[in-house]
Amino acid sequence: MSSSATKERLSPPITATQVQLFVFAVACLVAFVWSWIFLGMSFSGITSSFGDVGRLVKRMVPPDFSNLSNIVDATIETVWMAIMGTAGAIVLSFPLALGAARNTSPHPTVRYICRTVISLTRAVPDLVLGAVFVSALSIGPLPGVLALAIHSIGMVGKLFADAIEQAAEAPREATISVGATRRQTTRASILPQAMPSMIATALFRLEINIRASTVLGLVGAGGIGVLIQTSLRSLDYESALGAVAVIFVVVTAVELLSVRIRSAILGDAAALAQSARHGWFSQKIIARDTRVNKKSFETRALSPPWTWDRMFSTATISGFLLALAVAVLTIDIDWARTLPLMPQIITVFGDLFPPDFTTVRSEMVTGIVESVVIAVIATGLGLLIAVPLSLLAARNIMTKRILSTVTRLVMLAFRGIPELIIAVIFVSAMGLGPVPGTLALTVVTASFSAKLFAEALEEVDAAPREAVLAVGAGKIQEFFASVVPQFMPAFTGHFLYILDVNLRSSTVLGIVGGGGIGFLLLNSMRVLEFQTTGAIVMAIFGIVLAIELIGNWVRQLLR
Amino acid sequence: MQVINTVADSDVAVKVTSLSKRFPNGTLALDNVSLEVPRGQVLALIGLSGSGKSTLLRTLNGLHAPTGGKVVVQGTDVSTANGKSLRKLRHHIGFVFQQFGLVGRATCMENVLVGSLGSLRGPRLGVRSYPVALRRKALEQLERVGLSEQAFQRADTLSGGQMQRVAIARSLMQEPSVLLADEPVASLDPESANQVLDLILRIAREDGMTVICTLHQVELALGWSDRIVGLRAGQVVLDQMNAQLSQEQVMEVYRATGTPMQFETESALQSA
Repeated sequence: MSSSATKERLSPPITATQVQLFVFAVACLVAFVWSWIFLGMSFSGITSSFGDVGRLVKRMVPPDFSNLSNIVDATIETVWMAIMGTAGAIVLSFPLALGAARNTSPHPTVRYICRTVISLTRAVPDLVLGAVFVSALSIGPLPGVLALAIHSIGMVGKLFADAIEQAAEAPREATISVGATRRQTTRASILPQAMPSMIATALFRLEINIRASTVLGLVGAGGIGVLIQTSLRSLDYESALGAVAVIFVVVTAVELLSVRIRSAILGDAAALAQSARHGWFSQKIIARDTRVNKKSFETRALSPPWTWDRMFSTATISGFLLALAVAVLTIDIDWARTLPLMPQIITVFGDLFPPDFTTVRSEMVTGIVESVVIAVIATGLGLLIAVPLSLLAARNIMTKRILSTVTRLVMLAFRGIPELIIAVIFVSAMGLGPVPGTLALTVVTASFSAKLFAEALEEVDAAPREAVLAVGAGKIQEFFASVVPQFMPAFTGHFLYILDVNLRSSTVLGIVGGGGIGFLLLNSMRVLEFQTTGAIVMAIFGIVLAIELIGNWVRQLLR
Repeated sequence: MQVINTVADSDVAVKVTSLSKRFPNGTLALDNVSLEVPRGQVLALIGLSGSGKSTLLRTLNGLHAPTGGKVVVQGTDVSTANGKSLRKLRHHIGFVFQQFGLVGRATCMENVLVGSLGSLRGPRLGVRSYPVALRRKALEQLERVGLSEQAFQRADTLSGGQMQRVAIARSLMQEPSVLLADEPVASLDPESANQVLDLILRIAREDGMTVICTLHQVELALGWSDRIVGLRAGQVVLDQMNAQLSQEQVMEVYRATGTPMQFETESALQSA
């Protein structure tokens, strides 16, 4: 009996959590295989598809910039739309976040309402919102701006609320105990703590909105996207590449700039002091800060000195406000004509109700199943590519610097082209249907998740790695014994996030002929069957909600 | 009694000759260090942070490559060993880290089993991927450090002292002839620190292991080791059998380290 007890203890006990995770893993695998068969995918088919795309890309070179002034105008409009949309999202998100955060919310009911509004806005894809707004306000950049502003609340509001909730409790108590009102407390103790993270969130969203606004043109909501589609349809491939190249430059430049600014804003003094030993620039900064601090002390100044941090934040914020002002003044929006139309938005939303699920029922079911299948395959295939890529890109795994740098550049290059633009190119190379949509989404998934995975791998604690090497383990043994267990939670978390993002994307692929429910959605709006549109939006909403529930379940298992 | 210089070569566990280590950023961490440690000796390495203690330990099992001199452990030249031979040597040298080096999300059992990787081919993931015989052995090691009850608890749910005992059990899986410990108790409260040091000492005596352990606390070093070696700025400034030492002599290692600021403070104190 005692020997059996000992034997028992040689294997870990099987916990309910492990069983549930196992069920989830098996379900994912089954879903992938079933989807693969459903779409009739095959590796030889994929290879020949990429051959088609390659041939198309060959016909696109050399890019034709003869249309450059049009392209530049459209690009500028795209950027202005993104800036205005982001500004709108910030203005709308701020009160919602204050209402949704546990430590600032006036009442649990308010908190619940704010949280619901925030997640509702996230559930409707920006292109769908754009299409709805276009039907209310007619084509132009304004519907695009509104779509970006409303859809962004989902992310901006949530991250703002998180930032507010993460503020330390002690300063709040201290402020309350000097007799401050609720508003004074929020202003004096919470916002200063949350501000850097909120600025970083806004910048990150601006980066995302620049990508998003390049494709809003596909539903008539302004921006450069429509130029590419028109060129491809009229078989003017070289002009299409010209426009893609400009988008690529803008998106990549904004990403690089935003990453720099965000890390500068989020970087604490300790990190700066650390880098000060090496960086000539940071040494100059610290020397200057010390000087201005000393001077303001000596002159008994009554306002804070212009330290580097203060100058940097002020420059970032005023730069953004300046760009916003230019955008509002120069963008091609006839405010006098469109502002009175605003109430029509409510009318259009009203037209979506009651949703009509019956008229095109079978097409709807097919479209939704197709969207889910596309997302599942793109996620699965994308991860298969992303994992090895991320191992090459992570500097603590791939110690050959040149290889990791090259991998990072390749990933950056693919991220520079928004996914719907890639989908447009794939569709015109391979014809209409779900397969080009799936492959386009796969490419995007691979480059995005490789970036996320590489970052997670670089955060792996080095101490256990050294300890495992010290027992005489080989490099591969060390990887499995110390890196894999540490990486698994991040991997699963990112996997759920990517699946979620892909489900949202796959619902709009149909707009460019890439399969799924999106085609039916756009079509129902073109033929003014808004109640069908309402039903489809509800269905998309249902899918997104379902994946969010599954995600919450699995995340709670991993805790 | 200079036991140190009269032992026969076969009884020497660790022999370091004119060892130097300069890091790529220019820091000279070890400056011409020579040291001979006979089998079964328990040696405490003391000195300020940055004096080269950790670097010395890490060159002994090849985690750092020396820039000059020679390191021989158990008859193997560490400075020239590479790849397979280095891994084979490491497999017989236990190493205990200040920060334990456990994979927090893995169970204690799995963390202990990692100690046997040097004797296995291919990667392992999860307790079930290890042979039953090794699992039984891992459980015995956990029993030895008094943690068999926690075998399937996640390592990050343990207290600091318990974590360090799991790390020691991991080293015991290697059946090491030499145990290197880098500040094994610096992150622990005094009671856990005593427990962990007692455990290391008891196991060393039972298994006849050679132990080289860096320590911050002089009292612990005096009460616990056979021999004390003091490092300052990468040089050996003290090397005596414990019995011949007084606390004052040991404290000398920590004094007058040559950094200008400490000189100023000290002269200021003396003149006051």
